[in-house]
Amino acid sequence: MRKLDISKLDVLALMRYDACTRCGECTATCPTGGEAQDVELVTPRGKIVRLREFYKAQYGLRAKLLGPRDIPEDQLNELASRAYECTICGQCTTVCPAHLDTIEMWENMREFLVANGLGPLPAHESIVKSIENYDNPWMQPRTQRSRWSKRIEKDVGIKDVLKERAEVLFFVGCTAAYDPNIKEMAVNSAKVLGAAKVDFGTLGNEEGCCGSTLLRTGLWKSGRNTALRNIERFEKAAPSMMVASCAGCYKTIRQDYPRIGKVNAKMVHITTFVNELVSTGKLKLGKRVEGTVTYHDPCHLGRHNLLYEEPRKILEAIPGLKLVEMERTREESRCCGAGGGVKTAFPDLAQKIATLRIEDAEKTGADILATSCPFCYQSFKAAIDAKGSRLKMVDLMELVAGAIDQT
Amino acid sequence: MSIYDPSMIPKQMPQDGYLKDKLWLYVPLFAVVLSACAIILVLPYETVYVRDEVYLDAFLVTVSVCVAVFILGTLYNVLLWMHGKGLSGSPEGRLVDLFKRSVRFFLSRRFGRALSVFLKDALYLSRLKDRSVLRWLMHLLILGGFAVMFVLDLAVTISLDFLKYEPMIADDGWAKLWLRDFGFDLVGTMMLLGLLIAAVRRFVFRPKIVRTELPDAASILSLLAVVLGGFILEGIGIAGDIQGHQIGDEYSFMGYAFSLVTPESLGDYYDEAWLIHGVMSALLIAYIPFSKLFHMIATPIAIEADRMLPQREASP
Repeated sequence: MRKLDISKLDVLALMRYDACTRCGECTATCPTGGEAQDVELVTPRGKIVRLREFYKAQYGLRAKLLGPRDIPEDQLNELASRAYECTICGQCTTVCPAHLDTIEMWENMREFLVANGLGPLPAHESIVKSIENYDNPWMQPRTQRSRWSKRIEKDVGIKDVLKERAEVLFFVGCTAAYDPNIKEMAVNSAKVLGAAKVDFGTLGNEEGCCGSTLLRTGLWKSGRNTALRNIERFEKAAPSMMVASCAGCYKTIRQDYPRIGKVNAKMVHITTFVNELVSTGKLKLGKRVEGTVTYHDPCHLGRHNLLYEEPRKILEAIPGLKLVEMERTREESRCCGAGGGVKTAFPDLAQKIATLRIEDAEKTGADILATSCPFCYQSFKAAIDAKGSRLKMVDLMELVAGAIDQT
Repeated sequence: MSIYDPSMIPKQMPQDGYLKDKLWLYVPLFAVVLSACAIILVLPYETVYVRDEVYLDAFLVTVSVCVAVFILGTLYNVLLWMHGKGLSGSPEGRLVDLFKRSVRFFLSRRFGRALSVFLKDALYLSRLKDRSVLRWLMHLLILGGFAVMFVLDLAVTISLDFLKYEPMIADDGWAKLWLRDFGFDLVGTMMLLGLLIAAVRRFVFRPKIVRTELPDAASILSLLAVVLGGFILEGIGIAGDIQGHQIGDEYSFMGYAFSLVTPESLGDYYDEAWLIHGVMSALLIAYIPFSKLFHMIATPIAIEADRMLPQREASP
């Protein structure tokens, strides 16, 4: 009989499983369980009820008196698979009347699944191995990491912070560094920093994956090692501040790294940093950018980090641009479907969720959909193409770079 | 299924066998439980108006066992939480440590903030109000009614059996009329209304987000049975002119309403009805740690823990 090891579940998580009132508030708005496929076991309530049932069968009072009950392998595997269909978007945290911190619960549940040999899923294998071997999830050689910057390096003045000290360390992230469709995100971010005469640099080819994918899929040990390697690089570079353009890297370095090691520099997202530059007049947005834009709050920025206003302030500061809001916005924002390893393991599900968000955006009448996360960008771009939508997908920094007044 | 299958399964699983190994913890624990039971058994209960003492004794034995089951079940659940990671030491050691910390916390300046969190988020259910006024009202009526009834029950028992407070004992005493008669009926009515809304919503309208399995149905129906049972018992008492129900019937407004449709002859079975209501209430108490109703205890604790403990940085 397989006995589940519950010592990998947090004390607080075990408490929260009992605190769930089974009200179902989370089921209606859950992008994967409720909205996209209506499967109870994928919803927060479904996962809580099932996992609780399993560990109570082995550790509850009845198990203590009559002996633990065997949990069939297929049921355990079903729970594991369904648990990985969650994007960890945090919508359930927003709506839970019992105020349960479900984001922590799902990440911890995956750590528990890994510890019990039930996770991650085979589909995650290539990404995990790629990060462990190449320090990025895209199986790209380390030597190609800084290739995105070659054509702008001199014009913008990007330093190699391991050779030359810079005030600000720009943490590029794997997706913007390697994905040819996303690298403009890194290019535009660097152009914006350069235009504001920010003393900044990158870790170049030495930058490693932030470990977000590992931590989100429950591989805490690998994620911890990845984080420690980066923390060591941060120490060497010793910047005063770190800026990330990737919402996932931002969340990971800001929230997870302090639990792993000491990070001396303050971590900010590029939207916070640029908003500060614009509001203090260090960055002038004088050029008109015509269009109607709607902004999608990435889960890792919004619900995970409560960063809602800065991106909007930037958009409002761009001349010619009209900002319109989707019906579900800020903490109620729909997920893009890519997070938590869902796009890797369940691409069709991810696309279905992304399409729902594209429909939200289309309803506003906007012609531009802007966001600040490479994963949301990737996901929406694919959904826009598949749907044949007239929306133009942009990264927020692309709009900022287009509005910079060089005079 | 997993890429880490065999190697990631821990070799050492948490070991069990508390009872034989941890007598140092369980002996005082059982002493506390037995003391609680003893207090229940030795109270004089001079103001319980059953005609045959056998019914009172049967109830007291039942309620003692049920309270013991409730305390042990609750502690077992809390001990199970202590199996998780995030604290050091054995589960029992963690529990004792947590208890000490809680005492220190309650005596600290942060208690005020914890109290406001409790009142706003756990009792007033601020977030639920924003999402659905009907469900908020439903839950507030049940929870509020239950909480006030618990406090009222405690206050009445102490003033009757310990303090011998005359206005609470005398049939026409203000405390008897306003607290024991009107007060209990008011909070009972709150609970009844809330439970009826919950039952109609769950069993008749069945909204998509509601999923009714045995624990959900059992929780609502058992609470409903106890609350309705209380009013029926009161109705029998008033209709049968039983001692304690002879003056100021209108203060027990719900019991009075029930008495209007209750035959006077049922008063002959008042003792039996009293015992049934008492046993059902006691069984409900024993059922709490093993049911969905345990969230009454776990949710406020989880809310406090989430809001008061240092968390990952949230706001930018």
